Amino acid sequence: MRKQFKVTVSDLAARDDRVVVILGDISHFLFRDFQEKFPDRFYNMGICENTIISVSAGLSACGLHPFAHTINPFITERSLEQIKLDFGYNRFGGNIVSTGASFDYAWDGATHHCYTDLAILRLIPGMEVMQPGTPKELDTLMRSQYSNGKPSYFRMSDNPHGLDLPVEFGRGVIVQDKKAYLTVVTAGPILANVHEACKDLPVNILYFATIKPMDHELIARFGSTEFLVVQDAFGLQEAVAEVPGLRITCHGLPDEFCVWYGTVHDIRKRIGLDAAGIREAVRKRLAVVG
Amino acid sequence: MDPVCKRIRKHILHVSRVSGHGHIPTCFSVVEMIHAVYRHMRHDPKNPTWDGRDLFVLSKGHAALAYYCVLAEAGYFKPEDVETFGHYGTRFGCHADRFKVPGAELSTGSLGHGICVAVGMALAQKIRKTDRKVYTLIGDGESNEGTVWESLMVAAHQQLGNLTVIFDHNRSQQRSLPIQNPVAKFGAFGCHVIEADGHSLPELGTALRADSGGKVKMIVANAVKGCGCKTLVDNVFEWHRKSPDEGQFKLLLGELDAETV
Repeated sequence: MRKQFKVTVSDLAARDDRVVVILGDISHFLFRDFQEKFPDRFYNMGICENTIISVSAGLSACGLHPFAHTINPFITERSLEQIKLDFGYNRFGGNIVSTGASFDYAWDGATHHCYTDLAILRLIPGMEVMQPGTPKELDTLMRSQYSNGKPSYFRMSDNPHGLDLPVEFGRGVIVQDKKAYLTVVTAGPILANVHEACKDLPVNILYFATIKPMDHELIARFGSTEFLVVQDAFGLQEAVAEVPGLRITCHGLPDEFCVWYGTVHDIRKRIGLDAAGIREAVRKRLAVVG
Repeated sequence: MDPVCKRIRKHILHVSRVSGHGHIPTCFSVVEMIHAVYRHMRHDPKNPTWDGRDLFVLSKGHAALAYYCVLAEAGYFKPEDVETFGHYGTRFGCHADRFKVPGAELSTGSLGHGICVAVGMALAQKIRKTDRKVYTLIGDGESNEGTVWESLMVAAHQQLGNLTVIFDHNRSQQRSLPIQNPVAKFGAFGCHVIEADGHSLPELGTALRADSGGKVKMIVANAVKGCGCKTLVDNVFEWHRKSPDEGQFKLLLGELDAETV
């Protein structure tokens, strides 16, 4: 997905001289041709995420379209106040692009895990929060939102779900509609496991690449069913619950740090977010709701 | 004391008296600094969003009352408009809102943010190849924040010669974490450092006009918290965020007229 980010932002920069890339000392090798082509609009600013966010807000204040990019927990959790005040409160538009979703960097331990970003950023007024599940989804969302005057968050992952879905900003997708009593709701790359777990089960599947604004209309269409939110990051369940009157349960993250290293797949298996774990959770819920 | 700066201080006292709000000592520390910037930089009070204007960011946002009174003096709005300072529905909050205050470039309040955004504004001018300048005022207490130093490293590395930072060196952090030897520290961070009397308009003007040789300009403005009133200077902690009653108001006005500090 990172390669797609480079491709997309390079194309945008060629078309729009207001596009500026700010890196937090990652992806600089990937962006070397961007740097050669647009030397005045490329800054590897160093390992100073708070400042990167604020400087990006300053660029936006003067009419530019910044793309601030570095590792997820450092540019979101560490820099929450900068995003909240310098972008949100000041209503400057701009693009915050993280890499390393949830347990993508499982082997690095809990310092590099990030699963609160969606939840905390969706609380900032005016913020757009997106979790593309594939490079194609990233490209679609980035092109449609990068210059709209709002702060936009793009959560990239190294583990795309691989399905080809008609994603557009602010709209959910019906992946599976079996007119079932149970609707499984998910977002981002974990859809791969959800789909594998549920494709032969009598459940509906809804998928969201935009967490904020949530597609209330689509949720409401399934409002007469039971909802099971399957998530590998906080935020989706709260976003779904914006629609009043739903019956929602959640299969997601434990209240502990996932300190077992390995790969994202090891962590997902340990906490029941591999296909088998999700299938078990769905079947348990099916047994309750019929 | 410059008569205009004395008038601004009286305005600050008056607004604090009628509104019940205000960080008077910190405001009195920075009156000349903000006023000197607005005398120096390109701006048009009748057209606050003029494309060619220079930009000023009040990074130490709690000096907002001084900022408002300087802006009023410059003609951005009427002095009496500020009397609703801090009240429900006012345009003039205890920290500035850029959508409500004509001339305010950034909504500030949390320390260590404004200087970083100002660095971005200066970088934007470099990218867009304009000759617009960016000015920001930071506090010595604010400089406890790591982002001040992060952003200075970035600004120096990017050779932002269009950025001037004014450091309100009123030694307020003697009580906790003082910034020792700021001239040496900012110089070590790659700034072109000029030390000035923070209450002298001529010295501040000379510093603002000085050539920084393409480096970030850092004006270490030595100042006195509460400057103008002995009562404030001798009791800065008591007066940190306090507005005067009628008797105290008269006392402070008298001290200001007598220039007791």
